[in-house]
Amino acid sequence: MSIRLQLLVVALTTLVLPWAGCQYARELEAALRGSQEQSLLASAGTIANALSAQPQRVFRNSDLRSFDARGGDLYVHPLTNQPLLDGYREDWGIPWEPTVLPTLNGYRARLQAGSTERYLYLYAEVDDSHFDPEPNDAERGPADRGPADPDKDRFDRVNIWLQAADGSNAAYFFGTTAPGLTAAQRTAQDAGTAQTDDDSPRVLTEPRIQAYWLQTAQGYHWEARIPLSFVAGRLWLEVRDGNGKGSAGSTPTANADGGRLFFATDGLDGLLSTFIRDGTRATVIDTNALALGSAGNVSTLPVGASEDTRSSWYGALLDIDASNLPTLTATGGKLGGNSVHTALSGEPRAEWVRSEEGQMLLTAAAPIIVDHVARGAVLLEQNAEQMLQLRDRAFTRLFDLTLTATATAVVVMLLFAAWMTFRIGRLRNAADAAVGSDGSIRLAMPESRSRDEIGALARGFERLLARLNEHTQYLRTLGGKLSHELRTPLTIVRSSLDNLESQGLQEDQRSYITRAREGTQRLQTILTSLGAAARVEESIKQAERVSFDLRELIASTVAAYRDGFPHSSFALQLPDDPCFLRGAPDLIAQLLDKLIENAVDFCPPAGSISISLAREPGHYALTVSNDGPRIPAEVLQHLFESLYEHRNGRDDKPHFGLGLYIVRLVAEFHGGSARAANRDDGGGAVFTVTLPMI
Amino acid sequence: MKKNIAIVEDEPALRENYAAALARHGYAVKAYGNRHLAMQAFRVRLPDLAIIDISLEDEAEGGFDLCRDLRASSAELPIIFLTARDSELDAVSGLRLGADDFLTKDVSLPHLAARVAALFRRIDALKRPDNAAEIIRRGALMIDGDKMQTTWNAVAVTLSLTEFWIVYALARNPGHVKNRQQLMDAANVVLDDNTITSHIKRVRRKFLEIDPAFDAIQTVYGMGYRWVE
Repeated sequence: MSIRLQLLVVALTTLVLPWAGCQYARELEAALRGSQEQSLLASAGTIANALSAQPQRVFRNSDLRSFDARGGDLYVHPLTNQPLLDGYREDWGIPWEPTVLPTLNGYRARLQAGSTERYLYLYAEVDDSHFDPEPNDAERGPADRGPADPDKDRFDRVNIWLQAADGSNAAYFFGTTAPGLTAAQRTAQDAGTAQTDDDSPRVLTEPRIQAYWLQTAQGYHWEARIPLSFVAGRLWLEVRDGNGKGSAGSTPTANADGGRLFFATDGLDGLLSTFIRDGTRATVIDTNALALGSAGNVSTLPVGASEDTRSSWYGALLDIDASNLPTLTATGGKLGGNSVHTALSGEPRAEWVRSEEGQMLLTAAAPIIVDHVARGAVLLEQNAEQMLQLRDRAFTRLFDLTLTATATAVVVMLLFAAWMTFRIGRLRNAADAAVGSDGSIRLAMPESRSRDEIGALARGFERLLARLNEHTQYLRTLGGKLSHELRTPLTIVRSSLDNLESQGLQEDQRSYITRAREGTQRLQTILTSLGAAARVEESIKQAERVSFDLRELIASTVAAYRDGFPHSSFALQLPDDPCFLRGAPDLIAQLLDKLIENAVDFCPPAGSISISLAREPGHYALTVSNDGPRIPAEVLQHLFESLYEHRNGRDDKPHFGLGLYIVRLVAEFHGGSARAANRDDGGGAVFTVTLPMI
Repeated sequence: MKKNIAIVEDEPALRENYAAALARHGYAVKAYGNRHLAMQAFRVRLPDLAIIDISLEDEAEGGFDLCRDLRASSAELPIIFLTARDSELDAVSGLRLGADDFLTKDVSLPHLAARVAALFRRIDALKRPDNAAEIIRRGALMIDGDKMQTTWNAVAVTLSLTEFWIVYALARNPGHVKNRQQLMDAANVVLDDNTITSHIKRVRRKFLEIDPAFDAIQTVYGMGYRWVE
């Protein structure tokens, strides 16, 4: 793993910043929500306490009645405006929260009740595929003239029973010959008038109770208005199909205990409105979770306003989703939700819910305790969208900042890594190149002036190289030193042999002397060779440079070789013009000597040695090639080293490979280079020396 | 009368060998192990010829100091450096200090004796009146083979013994190329190619000091050198 990659991984750990920020923001949000819950709960508690001090203003009924919708109990919504009797409930100004009327035979009808200060309004939607109108006189026989008789005639009707303050029930029915406004009717029998007179009508009209009958595709709408003076306690309502097959609702005979009306408490709205602030709705409910009064509005923000931030991509990352919250419910005037249930059981409770519009609401409910019994509860609702927006904005900001920080950290680390890699790479390259192929050592390292660890490493390299250099120098001079040190004892032996020889020896003794002398001679040659490198280097250092014609020098030298090596054939190729070179002609001649000697040594008897000089851009190329054997690749790179020897032992003369070393030294003295290669045609080796032009 | 030769050599075995060989050739040899002993003896009486090693015991360049002192005492005293040190620098230093020859210890005892004899011959010839000397004249060059003296344009060129033999060998057959081996044989020394080259270089320089236009010694690359008139 490269340093760059490693640092990138390290840099990626800064991603923990957004994560930590996210955690922090969540905690912050939780704290915010908590505090909001607490404050709303406190408000609810305060209101509940205030209300529990004056229960008579809150609860109309002193008994704790249980609301029984199946028994025909009906919640009467408080209406703020006077609806028109038109068969439409839209002008009631309250949500459609109907009570489904109980039925035994699948006849379906839904009922909602409301009241203003003076009237009780009833609104029913009845599903009835076939309209059975009230019969009119024209359709009946003469005997039956007069108002329709509910007992005899068959027609769609709505029956209501109103219980008076004394407990007696008044029965009314509504039917119509044609849709439109109609008044309540009651039978005389029911009205309690004795049927003493046959002429007296059997059916009476009560014009104060009116209803509007509206025919629809599914059935009919029935909207009725009853003065509150007619309503004392209970009210039963039954819808009956004209053919007598279907009915829904309740009757006093079936449910004597039902039909109770649950009214909101007068004046409670005004009382509540003194407690609440803007943006909050307060609702007081009784133990049946029926609203007794409410005040205030939940401010609803325009839906689009929070849409942008809500749809931010990191929403998923944060897992902040309002869709799994319970929805606020209300059916038939009955409020739902956990907070309401908890509060009614005596404990305050706050809860987050979703309104029907999909916005988040915070609800808090506190019980109203009267005489140690929860008589009801105060429910506060508050819009949480504002807080959500605040949170979203904070999250956005947090994310932007931490992501920017992370990106910056990554970029900075990458740049830093690139810089480090560059420095290390430079050091590595220098280390690679520190020891040349010829064993020369470059001591200076890059970065050695840096004060950090890389600088220390570079300095370490420098110390290492210096030590290596000392050792190399020692090794290099070892040959010279050895030859020097061995020369004296060798001279002792030789001079002793000389002396011995002059003593007049016998023949057999003389042969031993001769052998000893041969041995010392060989030793001497070896020692001379050992010291020769140093002498060559020294003499090259002292060489003087003159300008001379390389072409002429080569021509005359090769001519001399033809004489000197009569068994070898030489091919010479020279440029037409003089090739002037500034250098030491002696040394160049020596270089040629060594190249030719080498070529002659390796060239087979029948082979030829070709020498050529060519002008190349910036330098002369002198090549000497022979027909000798190929040089193994591992040998090629060492050929020009001092004392390197690769020979197949053609003679017993000791060779120490100084020749090609001298070639290299001379070439380098002239600013050129020497190299060896095998000929492309595989026929032998070619040595090339380049010498820069003047 | 026997010639007195002083050998200053710190290696006892070598010293004895040289002393024995030279004694065999009829010289009176005195051998000294270090510079102080040698100087003590030289103050009493100067030898006829001194053979000096450069490094003497703990003095790495004691031989040079000794040579300087001897040359101060006598301008004519023949001095030969005989040393294991064969660097160009040492040779130049030694000859510059006034030594007559610079031999490495590769030289065999017979060769050493021949050198010593040649030097004495030169001294003797210088002392003798001019008669029937073997004189070689090549243009501005005049070589007196007896006295081993060389002049260029009648100005004496101070050549060491080795250098003299080289010039002598070249000038005797002008135009003939002498290769390095021939020159070595002529000088009675065992030298490697580079040493011959540096000898030639030194000889040229000595002539050039007298005559900046000197170019009588020509290099024949790949073969050797020749004297041109």
